[in-house]
Amino acid sequence: MKRAFATLLSCLVLAGCGVQQAPNEIVVQRFFGTCAAQYGDRTDVAAAQGECGIMTTLINKFGAENPDVKVRVSPVAWPGYNQLSAQLAAGDPPDLVTMHLSAIPDYQSRALIEPLGKELRAVGVDPQGFTPASLAGVSIQNEIYGLPIDNWAPLWHVNMNYFRQAGLVKDGKPILPRSPEELLEHARRFKQATGKPYLVQTLAIERASYSRNLYTLLMQQNADIFPEPQRIQLQTPEAKRVLELFRQIYVEDLTTKNLDYAASTNAFINGAGGIFIVGTWLIGDFEAESRRPDRPLSNGYAVVPFPQLYPGRDATYIDGHAWVMPAKERTPQQREAVFRLLRFLADHDYEWSRTGHLPSIQAVIQSERFNALPHRSEIAKLSSTGMTLPSSVQRQYPVQDIIGEEMSAAITGHKPVDAALADAEHRVNDLLFHVL
Amino acid sequence: MSAAAGQLSDLGQARVQPACAGAHQSRWSHLLYVAPYLFLYVTLLVYPLFAGFWLSLHKADLFGGRRFVGLENFSRLLQDQVFLGAVGNTFYFILLTVPALAIIGLGLALALNRQTRTAAILRGVFFSSSVLSVTIVTLLWKVVFAPEGGFLANVLEAFGRQPVAFLNDADLALPAIAITTIWWCIGLPMMLFLAALQQVPRELYEAAALDNAGRWKTLWSVTLPSIRRTFALVLIIEVVLQFQLFGQAYLMTQGGPNNASRPMVLFLFEVGFTRWDVGYAVAAGQILFAFIAMAAFAQYLIARRKEAF
Repeated sequence: MKRAFATLLSCLVLAGCGVQQAPNEIVVQRFFGTCAAQYGDRTDVAAAQGECGIMTTLINKFGAENPDVKVRVSPVAWPGYNQLSAQLAAGDPPDLVTMHLSAIPDYQSRALIEPLGKELRAVGVDPQGFTPASLAGVSIQNEIYGLPIDNWAPLWHVNMNYFRQAGLVKDGKPILPRSPEELLEHARRFKQATGKPYLVQTLAIERASYSRNLYTLLMQQNADIFPEPQRIQLQTPEAKRVLELFRQIYVEDLTTKNLDYAASTNAFINGAGGIFIVGTWLIGDFEAESRRPDRPLSNGYAVVPFPQLYPGRDATYIDGHAWVMPAKERTPQQREAVFRLLRFLADHDYEWSRTGHLPSIQAVIQSERFNALPHRSEIAKLSSTGMTLPSSVQRQYPVQDIIGEEMSAAITGHKPVDAALADAEHRVNDLLFHVL
Repeated sequence: MSAAAGQLSDLGQARVQPACAGAHQSRWSHLLYVAPYLFLYVTLLVYPLFAGFWLSLHKADLFGGRRFVGLENFSRLLQDQVFLGAVGNTFYFILLTVPALAIIGLGLALALNRQTRTAAILRGVFFSSSVLSVTIVTLLWKVVFAPEGGFLANVLEAFGRQPVAFLNDADLALPAIAITTIWWCIGLPMMLFLAALQQVPRELYEAAALDNAGRWKTLWSVTLPSIRRTFALVLIIEVVLQFQLFGQAYLMTQGGPNNASRPMVLFLFEVGFTRWDVGYAVAAGQILFAFIAMAAFAQYLIARRKEAF
């Protein structure tokens, strides 16, 4: 009897070890950082700043307005795909998860995420209302696989105080280079006038920013980066031109060196250089910094899209964020709660656009209040010049890592440019060839 | 034979029979005692071992898709410059860390093998780094190595030298990770050496003192021979542990620059989880397993020798 009781108790204990999800509970997994200390229970979205603050208060507000739904938020380190892959492989994914538009094809191709179009329309979110770039990012084979919340692109964030000092301001706007040669000339002039490097770049422990620059400048040269979905072409004069340009900038000390992402962000805020090449998500932070007195950016911040350096076309590589729903069994309550949250997030796309990202809803991007936000008119042209990689190209994240690693080796002088391009091409093609 | 002796002999025989029968029965009951362990051992170790090898013969992803490709994954690995670089980095890292861990660990143990309060506190201090997580350790050392305002940069600047970007220099990245690892892992070898030193018979030291042996002579002729098995054990444990370098490289350098600090485990993590090329990652894991098994076998051979401590 005692033994039977002990066995039963053990079984109950073991069964209790699993994390049980209540029938009305949904698990929301996101990147964008953690800020519980500052925004823990706050629901005043309008007062929140930055990606983490706005996303946290948005979800808090949804929870407060929908007491019948329990939302469990699980923040993950950017970009969180290794964790998500492990969760999917173990059959325990979250109910909603943030995903880059460029990563959606990987998960869709293995039926790991669910199509959302029909149910989005049912709750009043019409995909035809998305911006063209956002709609393209979540559309695969005539189905909608996510709720896009933004598009983003690498931008040039400018310290106008230094630009004035270097004589690179005209009519209150920064004078931007129109060719690689002009870029080098401006950079040398800037350094001579200010003693600072022209560019602030994240060059250490970084891969993504290298690849974004390369994609942008290849697109500007009309280069055919992926002649086929499973084949990249990098041993080209166009790619060599780009790497040699950045190598020259590095050799002439026209850029900061050895800074990781956090260090380069702080360096720009503290006046380490003229232009910080980073995405849309820091506009809000830099704008706030420019309103502080006696700071290097005080009344001296501007932001512009990546300038056109090659005569091919004005283009910038863009990506975006979306919410996707991993495939798993859910109660009707959970499913209803997921779409209620998606509707809520779509309704608050303007609030999200205050981060600096471009809205995913066409009506928001055309709205007065969005265009009244600082610097939005300067970057509005991205909605027409932004370009993604073909959605038929899978594994865009590891591809970006490989290219970034090889570019880093070439630019910092660890490897000749030709060897780096050959290695990057070989490694990416090997990866894509072996995709199941 | 006396009557009493005869009675004892009969009694003995009478006792032997049931005992033999009991021994025969107990063989099966003994198996029941080890059955739970055997079940877990086979399920959690033996089966995954063979399943892993079988998986390495497939092109497979994380989500169940697979196709048999024989030894193709292994031939790909042998031509993969990034993997070969990772193998070289792993062995170089072992060379950088294991002798240092053994020698510094021994030095600390010799210095702190005393019954004083100060020694007890210092033993705790030197062991304390081992309880920190890899995240904390790497965060701390990234601040030390940072070229802009980092501890070492400030020290170099104070002496009028240019700061060095340790983690962005292909020649210095792995040594920097090695220094971090030595700081983090020094506690275990120190404790193993302390345990061994405390088992060396005092009589040996008394005899050495009677023979007027100096400090170095005693160390060389008494202490080191007495703890040589522990020394070998420390070397082998550390070789096995450092083969598994991952967190420090992942968090401090991401394997760069130019693949200069990518260890084997980081390679197979990237291939398996980021690229979803699981068959290829598992094949790399089999090669890593072979290296670790060789180190473990060396430990087994040394453990079989019975002399010394």
